[in-house]
Amino acid sequence: MAISNKLRIDDQDAPRQRLILRVAHPEFDTLKSIVFRRYPEWEWATFARFGWRETPNALVITLAAIDGPTSGDLNERVGHVAIDEQYTLRMALNAEKHRLAVGVIHSHPEGGAPFPSRIDDDMDTYYARYFSDFAQGRPYISLILSVIEGKLVISGRVFWQDRWLILDHTTAERMEIETWVGGRPPASKNLELDRAARFASAFGEQALRRLRGATAAVIGAGGTGSVAIEVLARAGIGRLIIVDPDEIDRSNLERVHGSYPEDASKRTPKVIVASRHVRAIDPTITVEGLIGRLPQKEVLDTVVTADVVLGCTDQQHSRLALSDLAFRYLVPSIDCGVVMEGKDGKVTGQVAQFVRFLAAGPCALCRDMITSEVIKQELMSEKERAQRRLAADEARKRGENPNPYWQNQPQINTVGYLTTTVGGMIAGYAIGWLTNRFDTPFERLQMNFVAKYLDVTDLPQKQRSTCACARFRGWADQANADSLISAPDHWLPATKVV
Amino acid sequence: MNQERIERELGLLREGGQVAQLITNGASLVLYRDVPTDGAKHALPANTDVVVPVPAGYAAAAIDLAGLPVGSPLLSRLKGGANSQGIVSADGRQWQLASYHPHNGGGGPPWDQMKHGFHTYLDQLIAWLYRIS
Repeated sequence: MAISNKLRIDDQDAPRQRLILRVAHPEFDTLKSIVFRRYPEWEWATFARFGWRETPNALVITLAAIDGPTSGDLNERVGHVAIDEQYTLRMALNAEKHRLAVGVIHSHPEGGAPFPSRIDDDMDTYYARYFSDFAQGRPYISLILSVIEGKLVISGRVFWQDRWLILDHTTAERMEIETWVGGRPPASKNLELDRAARFASAFGEQALRRLRGATAAVIGAGGTGSVAIEVLARAGIGRLIIVDPDEIDRSNLERVHGSYPEDASKRTPKVIVASRHVRAIDPTITVEGLIGRLPQKEVLDTVVTADVVLGCTDQQHSRLALSDLAFRYLVPSIDCGVVMEGKDGKVTGQVAQFVRFLAAGPCALCRDMITSEVIKQELMSEKERAQRRLAADEARKRGENPNPYWQNQPQINTVGYLTTTVGGMIAGYAIGWLTNRFDTPFERLQMNFVAKYLDVTDLPQKQRSTCACARFRGWADQANADSLISAPDHWLPATKVV
Repeated sequence: MNQERIERELGLLREGGQVAQLITNGASLVLYRDVPTDGAKHALPANTDVVVPVPAGYAAAAIDLAGLPVGSPLLSRLKGGANSQGIVSADGRQWQLASYHPHNGGGGPPWDQMKHGFHTYLDQLIAWLYRIS
């Protein structure tokens, strides 16, 4: 690959491609412990491996593993980073054995901007060429971390397809990190403090700024999703991604916020209804609406740029897709579900469930949330469902077990006040993460609103070591073969409508 | 469909000597070639080609069913063979899907996408083709 001797990072002629970095625990903790080892005065560095996904508008890089230095790999006697050739060669030879991208991450002294120095320029020019021989077709990544006035800040650039991309956004799972584009501090944006005065007084102006700079994706714009969308919009989120395959029908009017009888008669897509509602609340919010489902390519391309995802579909295939997002792409999510139970004409349970999916947490499979028969039936085409139901009926007539063909699943009943409560709370938990003001106090929470003391249970569960979620954290597209779910071919292609 | 995963699984089969290919024009199917049967003892074919549909959302959903060429004398002698689950076209032939559900109460282990795949489904097919009535 031809690489110029000089870094050309300000090429105005090149089409602008966003560069997004995603990091999560525990790799980022390891990274900090290494690069800040000689803090506050001296720098230090490490090599790292990254997954990536290229979307039509962005290159998303995910921190997958840290290949920290061993004794003698870096020069201890100088204040700046001086990497010994043995370390570089070891990483290059390793790159021939794995399929991830290779990068260097180093610190600048405390208080020092993460602005690349001439030495950094020389190093990156050299490494971009060097690693292109050992890791062909893969990006080369260079990141600089620093602490300024107690804040963790980062800058970075990636050599990809013969040009340099500049890091313009970093998402750290449940952590705060500020991106300095090109090593320069971000410009302060004006906030409409009057409309968010109560929020700012409760959480602080800084939290409002973080929320304004954040993106939330809401999967499902029905009962819970429409409420979560509204709450996030009123709180002042900067960008919303809304995903849903369905249209409004009359039975939705009892639950879906922002929907009206005319939407049911016109069969307006739920995504359009939600987008219209957000714009009426705050026209400055950037809204991207997709008619489709996870993990369709177009949906994944958009959702992978979000800071947090809310799962509001109450479906098993969606939970698997959220799990996949969490461990492969380091996109944290909270999923919710609502169910009513009854007996002898009385309502005995009004149960809400919240589950968080984090990069290093157990996936929906490890949490035993997936039933083989249910997910198969969810993913079938209508034609196959009809065939299966018919085969089950015939098996019943023959006196045989109908279950291999079709198993009737109980209808999940719910009502608007429950979906409103749960949709509001899931948005609240997302705000807690995005503003770094509070964390989810649970792993998998269930509560019954009509039981004494709410009958609250939390179900901490562990990853299975054999599961893909424990083996391919941060691998992004480089672990496509190990994704937990793929989009069925019979699904209509996802379309961006807003 | 997770083509990368399926190709990896078919690669494992190839390493073991079993020829299998993914067919994607029309319904997605895996075609296993010359799978051994117990037919010789019953004056039936000792080998047969078998197709297996790729389930929607694979590998989230379990692999299910097995198809033999329409008119195969094995069909009426195998478990579920007479209970047609549809006809599919592939490789220039018509195939009848038998009611065979090894991962759904049909004698095999419950579906585990971390363990099972088209490479392990061959074992289920052979077990099926060796139970001729």
